[in-house]
Amino acid sequence: MTSPLTSPIPTIGVPQRPMNRSTSHALVGGVCAGLAVRFGVRERTIRVLFSLACLFFGAGLLAYLLAWLFVPRWGENDNIAQRLTHSRRESHITLFSLLIALVALVALGNYARHGTGILSWSLFLSAVAIIAVWFGSSRDEKGHLESVIGAIPVLGTASARGWRAFALRVVPGVVMLVIGLNVLGHIGGIWGGAVPAILGAGALALGVAVLLAPWWLDSVRDLSRERRERVRVEERAKLIAHVHDSVLQTLTLIEKAASNPTDVVRLARAQERELRQWLFSPDNVGERDNANDSFAQQLRSIESDVENDYGVTIELVVVGDCPGDAGIAALAAATREAVINAAKWAHVTRISVFGEVETSLVNVFVRDTGVGFDPAHVAPDRHGINHSIVERMKSHGGTTEIRSTIGSGTEVHLSLVRVEIPV
Amino acid sequence: MSQPRVFLVDDHELIRSGIRAEISNAVDIIGEADEVDAAIELILERLPDVVLLDVHMPDGGGLAVLSTVQAQCTNVRFLALSVSDAADDVISIVRAGARGYVTKNILGPDLVDSIYRVHDGDVVFSPRLAGFVLDAFSSNATGPAPRGVDPDLEQLTPRERQVLRLIARGYAYRDIATELDISVKTVESHVSSVLRKLQLSNRHQLTNWASTRRLS
Repeated sequence: MTSPLTSPIPTIGVPQRPMNRSTSHALVGGVCAGLAVRFGVRERTIRVLFSLACLFFGAGLLAYLLAWLFVPRWGENDNIAQRLTHSRRESHITLFSLLIALVALVALGNYARHGTGILSWSLFLSAVAIIAVWFGSSRDEKGHLESVIGAIPVLGTASARGWRAFALRVVPGVVMLVIGLNVLGHIGGIWGGAVPAILGAGALALGVAVLLAPWWLDSVRDLSRERRERVRVEERAKLIAHVHDSVLQTLTLIEKAASNPTDVVRLARAQERELRQWLFSPDNVGERDNANDSFAQQLRSIESDVENDYGVTIELVVVGDCPGDAGIAALAAATREAVINAAKWAHVTRISVFGEVETSLVNVFVRDTGVGFDPAHVAPDRHGINHSIVERMKSHGGTTEIRSTIGSGTEVHLSLVRVEIPV
Repeated sequence: MSQPRVFLVDDHELIRSGIRAEISNAVDIIGEADEVDAAIELILERLPDVVLLDVHMPDGGGLAVLSTVQAQCTNVRFLALSVSDAADDVISIVRAGARGYVTKNILGPDLVDSIYRVHDGDVVFSPRLAGFVLDAFSSNATGPAPRGVDPDLEQLTPRERQVLRLIARGYAYRDIATELDISVKTVESHVSSVLRKLQLSNRHQLTNWASTRRLS
């Protein structure tokens, strides 16, 4: 015998016994799959036969349920009927229930004969059998049945929301359906045709809507939830990629440079700038052609370069902006020199840079509160100030003013006449 | 002189403990909060002199704390603290009534100095805020003043511009006074007047401006 979990696949033409209800191929109770194994035929064949038998006053349904009750499940020793009559107490309850069912059957007999005859008998018996199956099945089988119920649209969503909601919805829904059918059955007579037809159809539609609405709503909701979830996952992936590429790398570098405060500050500042750029103006991220940068962009790249190279903090404030040209490029180059000078010689950790674009002028101020120097005593061959700043500004029609006091700091004021009209 | 009673509002524990460590010697920290509702409740209960307010917080951020508290109690002064530097955030919190704005990487002694200034009724403009304000009132953006608005509120005086530029250039109030040959008190009154204009002016550029330009 194979293990209980794998029921044998029916080998066509090879009957096997004893008969068991299938566990692995069960759609509902596993009766059809079990019979297929027993008689060595295809499952589908048995299922079609049962379905056809249902047309004969529900005989197929009844036979199925009887088999469900009396054939043990694969891997279980007792069948459901045996389990229901196991102990004295249980068998008493079962007997008592059967008695009540019998009384009810007799009482309903008259109605049944006037109604749809034998069909209602078999339906009633089937209902009793289903209840018996539910109470007599093993825990394992109950789990299977619950998943089967869960897969049925109306019942499934209802039981997921709790049985109270189920009662509140399914009961009114069914009542509406019954009323609708009854009204439709009375078409003609004193009511005429149109009114009951409309009322009945309305009640039917309402009943169906009440029954199916939650299921429909659920599937719509599932769909939009799924879409939201997918968008969220994508964004998260993008964020993770960015954080990994930038922040985590920098943090690793900072850990390595922990003994060197200057490096730590430099790395942290660089990361801060990069993150800020990404957060607040994501469009500008990426490599750009420096020559076409605007005034503000050129100042910002000076800020980041000097902070990186010299480990100082630059407090940059820019007011207004204008597109870059040769004059702006010269101004930026002179500014860079001035900032680097301050970073190198002033012995400070903070340098203020203020750039302002006015209607006819562009001004840059580079200020530190460092040691200062005496401009009159700088050797004329010192390229830093003379060539790189003063001459460069002059060649583009700009001016340079340097004010420095020994002990209290230096300020370089660069000024350029604007060629272009502001945008 | 008694120390100002300071209340801290910031949703990051790390930032709060950092600030605490830097200023606890010089001021009296009477409480802190990490969310908007708790902050409003505690501030109204304890009535601190100065609230250090993080601009960026969940549930409406610093702006919600500021406007709710100011509606019920005008004696509490606010100093905005932020890492963001997004111009619109800064301008809107100052327009809502904050007495100043500093960035979180400010040095400890400078922060203490700013708290004392705000406590004394002065206004604290960081270089960056000065830049934002200059930009907002930029002469390029001047249009005709809307009707029914005092035109004086729509422009900064040349002197006020001068003071703001010096702040943006990194000058302390003391240095500005020396540079312009005026008293520190006069510098302070210029800055206060700029703040008032910023808060009262309703010309549309101030609100439009921030969303069209993001200078940081």
